[in-house]
Amino acid sequence: MNKVMGTAVSRKDGQAKVTGTAIYSADHEIAGLVHGYVVTSTIANGRIKTIDTREAEQASGIIAIFTHKNAPQVFKPSNDFMKSKIYEARLPLSDDRVHYAGQIIGLVIADTFERARQGAHLVKVEYDAQKPIVEAKNAVFKEAPPQMGEELKFAKGDVVTGIASAAMKIEATYTTSTELHAPMEPHATIAQWQGTDSLTIYEPSQWLALSQRTYADLFGLPSEKVRIVIPFLGGAFGSKAFPWPHAILTVAAARQIKRPLKVVMSRRQMTANTGHRSETEQTIRLAATTDGMLSAIAHEAKSITSPVDVFTEPCTAVTPALYTSPNLLLTQELAVMNVGTPTFMRAPGENPGMWALESAMDELAWAMKLDPVALRLKNESKEHQRKGLPFSAKHFAECLKVGAERFGWKDRPQLRSLTREGKLVGWGMAASTYPGLRGTTSAKVRLLPDGTVHVLTSGNDMGTGSYTVVAIAAADALGISVEKVRVEMGDSLLPDGGLAGGSQMTASLVPTVMKACQDILKTANCTTATEACAALQRSGRAAIEASASSAPGDETKKWAFQSWGAHFCEVTVDEEIGRLRVTRWVSVMDVGRIINTKAAASQVRGGVIMGIGHALMEECHFDPNNGYPVVYDLATYHIPAHADTPRIDVTFVGEPDLNFNPAGVRGVGEIGITGVSAAIANAVYHATGKRFRSLPLTPDKLIA
Amino acid sequence: MKNFSYVRATSVKEAVQQASTDNNAMFIAGGTNLVDRMKVFLDEPSQLIDITRLEMTRIEPTGEGLRLGALVSNTAVADHPEVRRSYPMLTRAILLGASQQIRNVATVGGNLLQRTRCPYYYDTAFACNKRELDTGCAALTGINRIHALLGASDQCVAVHPSDMCVPLAALDAIVEVESSKGKRQIPFTDFHRLPGDAPQRDTTLEPGELITAVILPPAPFAKSSVYLKLRDRDSYAFALVSVAAAVELADNRIKTARLAMGGMAHKPWRFTEAESFLVGKAANTETFQQAAELALQGAKPLEYNGFKVELAKRAIRRALTVSAKGGGIV
Ligand SMILES: Cc1cc2nc3c(=O)[nH]c(=O)nc-3n(C[C@H](O)[C@H](O)[C@H](O)COP(=O)(O)OP(=O)(O)OC[C@H]3O[C@@H](n4cnc5c(N)ncnc54)[C@H](O)[C@@H]3O)c2cc1C
Repeated sequence: MNKVMGTAVSRKDGQAKVTGTAIYSADHEIAGLVHGYVVTSTIANGRIKTIDTREAEQASGIIAIFTHKNAPQVFKPSNDFMKSKIYEARLPLSDDRVHYAGQIIGLVIADTFERARQGAHLVKVEYDAQKPIVEAKNAVFKEAPPQMGEELKFAKGDVVTGIASAAMKIEATYTTSTELHAPMEPHATIAQWQGTDSLTIYEPSQWLALSQRTYADLFGLPSEKVRIVIPFLGGAFGSKAFPWPHAILTVAAARQIKRPLKVVMSRRQMTANTGHRSETEQTIRLAATTDGMLSAIAHEAKSITSPVDVFTEPCTAVTPALYTSPNLLLTQELAVMNVGTPTFMRAPGENPGMWALESAMDELAWAMKLDPVALRLKNESKEHQRKGLPFSAKHFAECLKVGAERFGWKDRPQLRSLTREGKLVGWGMAASTYPGLRGTTSAKVRLLPDGTVHVLTSGNDMGTGSYTVVAIAAADALGISVEKVRVEMGDSLLPDGGLAGGSQMTASLVPTVMKACQDILKTANCTTATEACAALQRSGRAAIEASASSAPGDETKKWAFQSWGAHFCEVTVDEEIGRLRVTRWVSVMDVGRIINTKAAASQVRGGVIMGIGHALMEECHFDPNNGYPVVYDLATYHIPAHADTPRIDVTFVGEPDLNFNPAGVRGVGEIGITGVSAAIANAVYHATGKRFRSLPLTPDKLIA
Repeated sequence: MKNFSYVRATSVKEAVQQASTDNNAMFIAGGTNLVDRMKVFLDEPSQLIDITRLEMTRIEPTGEGLRLGALVSNTAVADHPEVRRSYPMLTRAILLGASQQIRNVATVGGNLLQRTRCPYYYDTAFACNKRELDTGCAALTGINRIHALLGASDQCVAVHPSDMCVPLAALDAIVEVESSKGKRQIPFTDFHRLPGDAPQRDTTLEPGELITAVILPPAPFAKSSVYLKLRDRDSYAFALVSVAAAVELADNRIKTARLAMGGMAHKPWRFTEAESFLVGKAANTETFQQAAELALQGAKPLEYNGFKVELAKRAIRRALTVSAKGGGIV
């Protein structure tokens, strides 16, 4: 039997997706479904003086209108991260306060979507408006509180003396803009109550079991009375892990009107109230000895949160993992502004953090006339300086070396010396890294007499390829072909498949599925699936079933698990007209064992493309007067098009990380984006001799 | 979206007759702009008059020039061999706009009448005189990064978003219109208007008038014309600034020059003064720089769009240079 693990397997759900038969949350057809459209605030700070729904109530097809005056009842959840969690601690419609523009202040329900939208448009609101704070220059920054139980600040040695005594030092401040997740699938919820004590929700969720517990908490139900169904999810990037206000309101209103209710958020609404990545400002100080050893690293970051929840963009978390220095200082500051609640977005912290750190490393390399690859190799960390643990299966140096080789880095010409067709050409590189995370998961595997295998787990496929990864794991463990494996996911009735987030779905699920498959063979007392199947046929039984769970254990006390990579790129800059293009890309990744080379490379490419967006164009401005995002759709919030994206060469190096889990997998969803923007800005510096420290690199900045 | 009635016109006569009976009726062609606007409450027509079955779908040579029927798709205009040969900047401008799918259904008439992409116009949460007269202009004190440098008023600083219209302005195209009262022709540069104190009006079209065609007069100077579009991403984005330029040389001197820009004003902006300046001069960087300075002389930047002054000058310089060297893709 040829091993299928580590080969290139096309997605199992590919055909369903391209033929339109994949069912996303808003696609579910439910008898008697009615439609809701949210009313949003047009001011960013103040109170609702009056909210007049009379004209809306008269419009055709209107079934119900909810505002803070008749808000449906919801219980405050415990909001403890592992137990139940909502994105915004303030419950929807809980009072007349407005904290940010685009905040949900009502819900209009009608028999059709169009009528609900028209009704929402007819709701008249008068406000007592106060001047909002929507510009960081007017915000008050304070030390950020611990996040998810961990302190954000960290100090080792003494950076002041580390810097004072150094031969070379640099200090620079880097900024990033507010960014939107902009998944292809908009946020949408369908809530269907069976009576008042049982509930089905169709909604994109990165963690079904947590959603289930959270809704149970919100509506005072036992968990088993809540069912979450989401067979397909059209991209989340961190914005679909917990319920947002619109979803809570949808479920609450559906109970009140005793009808199944669907609410789909518009792109416009999504710019304001379904999360974003905060803008950041980071100051990095690096000091080095004459031979290029880092004698101090100080990384100080600022980000923004909303008035209704606390989220710090943890930019500095990556620093103690990447480079060794006897003196290290990390600080994070946070300010409240009248903007929607920021949240996790692909490589939260790591992406902006690496922008700053890897730009600064490049600046230091130029200042010291050192090759940036060599500078990184010299300072490579031996242990995670915050955890005080050695890394397991670390191959960062190999990433750098293989990347340099594939790119042809050794032929790098002088600064601002390379041209092509009248444009300046530049080469840049940056490191890439992301922690190896793993969670608790369960799955059930069933072998049928016809030789097919079913794998059942609630873990879901956000579009990343989990259906296929799970099938490969089962096929590999049982020695059968991938076609023989049917995977069912995305239903909370199935065993808890854990979180699709933090790049951990594969590392969490694959060991579980492997274990359940091994149990099948054990139960059948056979060594192969063919034998087990024959035994099953003889027995006349319907199936052999096994359930398994797996979870991280004591290994996290012995090792730090981290994935590594390196990006090398080429850009062209048409300086006169401010036109920057990324023309070549090489990524080398060390992420443990690769389950599906095709899907894994595709994840890295997706990360690089999103990183190009972060570097070149993604930017959500808030209007300085009324605080509403000025971008309103995907024509105004730019993400890369094909024309912005070069061919992306992806190579994997390293070895299975068997200390981490029996599959040796570390996950690959987020690492690809980290370091991309720095590699690009570093290439622009090489091309032009100009250092850009503020993203995105739009034409206005390039010609300045 | 308010309820509206829908009629499918079978002839131009019937369409304009129908329009003359209802001031709140609107024509619908490709629908790529109008339907989006209706969904966000910018237009609330009482009736849509579908004109897509009318006989306005041909590109044909006439005594006045090449006549583009109002219903010809943007794609068909761009791909037409005569357009490619004689008016390359028009082909280029169209291909740099929107996406292939949109260009396939978008029409000549609809492209002329697409409305601004000013974000303050697009959302009823913001004050906008164009959407509702005398309510104010949020863009004046807002993020006015993409807004007008020329010809704006304190009522409106929006820009016309079309790419196709920029070469049409440079080419002195003619817009042919018809209403129940009869037919008339409008010179392209008089078709769109400046906001003044009536920003709700983008054009000089009278109520009920239907665009039937756009005529491209012969333009021997346009063979090496170019269109340069500068934007925040490399495809599927509106222009920050764009330039349609044509330079015809004779004995190393500029014989004819045409220069128009998008992203600058409430209408595609034609720089006739800079054109006259160029005639008779040597085609070199210095000349083109002077023309650019002249063109941008009256620019009035707002808080966030100051960069467009310099960007526009550089774009002009580049576009003129490439056209003078024989044209091509910029
Ligand atoms: C995502 C997106 C990106 C885009 N990017 C670009 C871009 O980069 N550059 C660019 O130039 N354009 C761009 N466009 C705009 C596109 O070019 C226009 O939407 C299109 O040209 C409009 O043509 P239509 O036939 O669909 O017009 P419709 O939407 O049918 O009509 C538009 C207007 O014209 C009126 N109308 C239509 N035909 C006639 C007629 N014959 N007589 C009188 N009135 C008429 C309608 O009443 C309506 O008011 C983009 C559009 C979208 C949606």
